[in-house]
This record gives sequence, C-alpha cells and structure tokens, in this order.
Amino acid sequence: MCNLRHITKNLLLGVLMLGSACLYAQENALARAQQLLRAKPPGYMEIAALTIDSVIVHPQTKNDFVAWTTRAFIYFEFYKLHDKLKLNSAHRDTIVNSLLVANSLQPDSNYLVQNNKLLVNLSKNYFNLSRTLLQDSVNDQRSAIAYNRYKALYRMVDPKMDFSSDDVKYYLAVGSQYSALFIKDNNDTKSQDVAKVALLKVLEIQPDNPTANINMGLMYYNQAVNLSKSLDYGADFSQIDIVQENMVKLAKQSEQFIIRVYTNDNKNLKAIEALYYIYRMLNEPAKSDDFKKKGEELGIKFSDQTADKEK
Amino acid sequence: MAFKIKYYLCKIHFNLSKSFKYLLVVFCLISFKFQQPSTFDANSKIKAVFLYNYTRYFEWPEKKKVDNFVIYVVGKNENLIMELKNLATKKKVGNQEIEIKNSSTFDPAVTSHIIYFTPEAAKPLGDAASKNKGKGTLVVAETPGGCKSGASINFIAIDNKLKFEYNKNAAVKAGLKTNEDFKALAAVNID
Repeated sequence: MCNLRHITKNLLLGVLMLGSACLYAQENALARAQQLLRAKPPGYMEIAALTIDSVIVHPQTKNDFVAWTTRAFIYFEFYKLHDKLKLNSAHRDTIVNSLLVANSLQPDSNYLVQNNKLLVNLSKNYFNLSRTLLQDSVNDQRSAIAYNRYKALYRMVDPKMDFSSDDVKYYLAVGSQYSALFIKDNNDTKSQDVAKVALLKVLEIQPDNPTANINMGLMYYNQAVNLSKSLDYGADFSQIDIVQENMVKLAKQSEQFIIRVYTNDNKNLKAIEALYYIYRMLNEPAKSDDFKKKGEELGIKFSDQTADKEK
Repeated sequence: MAFKIKYYLCKIHFNLSKSFKYLLVVFCLISFKFQQPSTFDANSKIKAVFLYNYTRYFEWPEKKKVDNFVIYVVGKNENLIMELKNLATKKKVGNQEIEIKNSSTFDPAVTSHIIYFTPEAAKPLGDAASKNKGKGTLVVAETPGGCKSGASINFIAIDNKLKFEYNKNAAVKAGLKTNEDFKALAAVNID
C-alpha cells in the first residue's frame, strides 16, 4: 500500500516535470526563433520558420500573441527578400494572418503598435506595387488589385481611414498614364476607357480637380487633333465635313472640362493655354486671340505646329 | 526572456521605422502629369485639304497646265505653309507638281494658280483680283465679304466648322472654267 502511494507520487511528479519541460521546451523554441531572427546566421530564416511554426501549433503556446508576432516578423524576412514586388505572396499572407491572430489575442499595447506598424508597412508596399504595376508595367488591372489591397489592409489597422486623397492621387496617375497612351494611339480605345473611368472617379470625389479636368479635356482635344491629322489631303468635301463634325463635338466636350478650371482660377496657365488651342480649333478667333493675349501676359510661350512636329 | 523579446521587437521597430521613411517617400512619388495640348493646327490642315479639293472643280487655261502648279500664300501662316508643303510632297494636280510660294504682302509679279490671302493680309484682295483678271488664278480669301471684294472663294466659319462662300462670276472673270456641281458644295453662293 505504501509502495503504491510511493509509485503514484513519483508518477505524478514525473508527469508534472514532463509537462513543465514541454512547456519550457516551447518557450525555449520561441526564444530560439527570436535569437535566430536577431543573429541572422546563414540559413536562419528556414530554421526560424520551422521553429516558430511548431510553436504556434503547440497547445501551450498557440494562444501566445508573442509567438504570433514573432512568426509575422520571421516571415517578413522572407517577404523582404523574395516577395516584396509580388502581387500575390504566400509569405505576405502568412504575415497578415499571424498579425491578425496576434491582435485577436489581446496583445499588450507595445505589441499592438508593432503589429499594426507591420500591417501598415505591408499595405504601403501594396500601394507602391500598384504604382510600379501602373507606371512601369502599365497593367491597370493588377495595379488596381494592389491598390484595393492597400486600402483593405490599411483598414484593418484604421477602419475609419479616409482614402479620398489617395484615391485622387492614384486615379489621377491612372488617368494621365492611360490618356497619354490613348493620345499616342487613337485606336487604343481600351486605354481611353481606362483613362476616362479613372479621371471620372477623381471628378466624383473632387469635381473641380484641375488636373483631372485638364487631362480629361485635353484627352478629347488631342483626340480631335488626331482626327484632323489622319485626314488625307485627297479627302473629298463629304469626308472633310464628317471629320469637322467629329472634331467640333470633341472640342466642345474638351471645352466643358477646361472652362471649369478656368472659371475657378482665371490664371491657370494650363487652362488658358488649352482654351487658346480649343477656340482656334472651333474657329472662334476672337476667343482664341483673347486667351492667347492673356496667356502671353502670364508668360506662356505658345508653340506653333513646328514644335508639335518635333515632339 | 520577455525583456529579450521586447528588446528585439524594439530593434525590429527601429528598422521598420527606417523603411517607413523610405516607403513614405516612394508613397508620395506616385506621379501624375498634365497632358500637353497638341499644337497641331487642325484648321490649317483642313484649309490645305480644301485648297487641294478646289483643284478638282476648276479648269485652268492650257497655258497654265505646264510647269508647276503654284499655290501662293499672301500673309503669315506658318502652319498652313507647312501643311501645303506636306501636301506638295504627296499630291499632284494632274501631272503638275505642286509648288508653294509665300510672301508677307501681295506681290503682283508672282504667277500662280491659286492665291490665298490670310485674314491679316486681305487688304489688296480687290487689287489682286483685278490684276489677275483673265489670267487663270483662283483667288481665295478668309475675310468678311471676301467674295464681294473680288475673291472667288472665301473661307467662313459656320457652327464652328470651316465652310466657304463662292462667287462663280469672279471665278469666270478670273479665266477659270467652272463646274456647276461646285455651287452645291458652297455654304453660300454670291452672285
């Protein structure tokens, strides 16, 4: 009887010790992962990832926000090295997921701040990616995905964030990029549509935005110019009439946008310059001369067609 | 251990702060640019196409069917001159090469098939018309009442579009054979 009590006591002690050892083993693993992250020895990322992945599934540590935050930072190392310029990144997904779990485990304020900063970092990387995809790769669709992910990720940190000013910047960039492409090639109606949609989004937010109005107006004006350029010298009178009809429609559409800018700011050089060219096209010499005079007084040097050819 | 973790995270935070600065700069660099208005003068192109079209509706005297077909521009209009020079490289009138001449004021010594007076240089229009009577020169102007002052054709703007008025009598007096269809193409006929 005494022996049995002795055996049970030892057994319980053993289980307790084993349990403690297991617990400390996981805590040691977490510390080891952090150590690796700090010291960065060769091949540290893979070992650190393996270690932390075992920590976050262990019952003893799976609800430890420190473990999840550490995991996010370990995967951030992979991300920085391999995935920063990728639109779709498993590492980025792992980081975001880890940070969200960490934040759901009621971390202390220090951890919460770190976690949110990392989320903001990732979201801004999406923004930069949207810029690269737009301006370097000229891929509006992938750029839009990146831009929307930037906003979605940022909202995880600050649900009340107002993106109006970013939207204006982003859609202006899309609009100017694609209107330039359309002006180069009038058959590229896809670019025209992308530019129009983007610039109209800006005008929804800021109806008087000068850049959007000017770019929208000039897209129509330059389209009219290209129509006249494409007119063959041997075209008959009926063809001339059709081209003129379309030119006038486009020039009047252009005028609507530019005049809005001029009405708000009668010293806007871009608007004054554009209105001179628009009224010249519309055969309204009194108005075009008036804007030319105003422009010259404000220092605009109006180029003639020779300059356009050189461009 | 907690100290170590916090210490390490502080270090990460420090590094991240640096990348934030970097990101912030790039973040601001998303660029948008103003489009430039094309300086191409669409109306000069249209005028050049009109002038070339006129050659299909008039017949010049036999003596003027040799040598170059001369379009003489009186006044300053660089854009039109450039368009006409482009036209001359691409088109002919019958077998005649097109030649462009230009002077700031009217020079009666210049022999031409078409004289175009810019709005600013239209003063000697009547003089030019009388001096070219019977010589086979189509006088084109762009000034109010141009056809009444002796021009056969006068550019006008109607509904923002370039059109022309036509004075058949002036063309006949100028020694040109006219085409009846041409009257229907003019926005206004002046007799």
